[in-house]
Amino acid sequence: MKIVDRRDEAPGVRTLKLEFQNPADHEHFKQTFRTGMFGLYGVYGEGESTFCVASPETRKDYIECTFRQSGRVTSVLASADIGDLITYRGPYGNRFPIENFYGKNLIFVSGGIALPPTRSVIWSCLDQREKFGKVTIVYGARTVADLVYKHELEEWEKRDDVDLVLTVDPGGESPDWKHRVGFVPTVLEQAAPSPDNCIAVICGPPIMIKFTLISLKKLGFDETNVYTTLENRMKCGVGKCGRCNVGSVYVCKEGPVFTAAEVSRMPQADL
Amino acid sequence: MTRILLSDKLDNCVARWRKAGLTVIGPVKKETSSSYAAVEKAADFDFGIVLPDCSIKGLFFPQTEPMTGYTIKKQDIVTNDFAPPAEKRIIFGARPCDASGLAIDDPLFGWDYKDDFWFQRRNETVIVTIACTKADNFCMCTSLKLAPDSTKGSDVLLRPLQNNKGWLVEELTDRGREAFKEIADLLQDGSEQAAPLAVVPEKFNLDACVAWLKNPENFDSTFWKEISMRCIGCGSCTFLCPTCHCFDFQDEGDTYSGIRRKNWDSCSFSLFTMHTSGHNPRSTQSARWRQRIMHKFNYFPGKFSVNSCSGCGRCTRQCPVDMGITETLQAISTLKP
Repeated sequence: MKIVDRRDEAPGVRTLKLEFQNPADHEHFKQTFRTGMFGLYGVYGEGESTFCVASPETRKDYIECTFRQSGRVTSVLASADIGDLITYRGPYGNRFPIENFYGKNLIFVSGGIALPPTRSVIWSCLDQREKFGKVTIVYGARTVADLVYKHELEEWEKRDDVDLVLTVDPGGESPDWKHRVGFVPTVLEQAAPSPDNCIAVICGPPIMIKFTLISLKKLGFDETNVYTTLENRMKCGVGKCGRCNVGSVYVCKEGPVFTAAEVSRMPQADL
Repeated sequence: MTRILLSDKLDNCVARWRKAGLTVIGPVKKETSSSYAAVEKAADFDFGIVLPDCSIKGLFFPQTEPMTGYTIKKQDIVTNDFAPPAEKRIIFGARPCDASGLAIDDPLFGWDYKDDFWFQRRNETVIVTIACTKADNFCMCTSLKLAPDSTKGSDVLLRPLQNNKGWLVEELTDRGREAFKEIADLLQDGSEQAAPLAVVPEKFNLDACVAWLKNPENFDSTFWKEISMRCIGCGSCTFLCPTCHCFDFQDEGDTYSGIRRKNWDSCSFSLFTMHTSGHNPRSTQSARWRQRIMHKFNYFPGKFSVNSCSGCGRCTRQCPVDMGITETLQAISTLKP
């Protein structure tokens, strides 16, 4: 795929906008992509990395992926220029069944670099806003600088049909920070969304997911109304290579999207 | 009356098969180790080996295999996908546990995405298994509800004759019958008896082990730490295992050209599941050993209705610290479910 745009989101975090070179591949993507699915992005000579497709299912002319530069592949991807070609396989995995969310209130809870998968669902819903009830987004990062998609956060903040709650970890605030300070689960409990007719979509580092699930339980959310995405290390993406397994579950095939009820049936120590 | 293949005709058989375009493979001893390797004549076989050091897995799922070649040009990336090699083969003298191992992995390579590399080799390879008349202390096929004369995964089963001069022939599949048509006139009728099968004592009660593994409470048992304390995470057990199938992709080459390869990987390695963030779902050796046992006897059968172990015993036989599935399952057998 060809890089047609790139954008820095936060220190070390970059978004690439990619366009298909081969019309047949693009057609396949248009036919199969639904929000929540992931792809394997790579550079020959370096390897492949797994990220979600960060763009929504309502915008299929391109793919956006957002990643933190931290390893071999992501370092090369981060230094790639507009016009460069990279490899892509996908989309793989299951999806957020957003048609089941029609008519319901939505609460999105996300932390740090996990906003990209959540953002795909957020825009998939906001692009057909009339089909959903109240939309609340709780997003936090370690520091103000680490918040990704700052331009979109501003856009969501301005919209009167979206409630945006931003927070940074204690110590991560800047002098002009006007939003909350505190960890995501705590801030979520303070925001206290009603569990009635509400679907929660959470994504974040494993530790955040763990405590957010506890908070949602406290708030009265039923486990079957809470969705999360497990972003395990993957290589093949097609249920063979074995590394994404959590218990008997192949995250690449049966996931990455699971309800909290499904997650609770997995061996917790292997998450 | 049964059909018999005499050992002194084997050289002729090898020549016939080779002439028909088949690569003939069998148990071969090389200096200090043994494996299944290509032979040119019957004398190259060593049927005295109880079980070759390496399983036949590598003949179907090689340790390293090129998937895609790439050349990067100024405004273009030229790739060529490697096709699975079209080579007709006959493996003469596979052990029943090794042949079973292939049948165990078929559903894994076939579910959802079908792995052409695996199935092309499976379809083009005839597996002639020789029943075991000898076993060593590590063999445990009977504990896995298999036997020294299991036919699972085999196209032809040979039973050694009592007089040690040949084998009774049992053709099991069309593929096997086809290959033996080539040598039909070299077989003869006979009434000799098959030699007694190896005696492989049952080492543990599989059903009791599976019941214990299935109880979620035992997932966090201190047992796992105790039993895997001396595991050094070398991965030998997974590489020698006829059913372990985890792999990795690696690019070999430079910025301009190279090959993307599929290589064996192992759940025993700490990097296997390590996230970029540093979070590792299976961060300790005991968690990794638990995964290996759970995967073989709980998760895999849950998905594909078969245990991912054929009882060859290599994991124990060749473990540098004398661990292995046998010891673990023996210990589990004694625990309360």
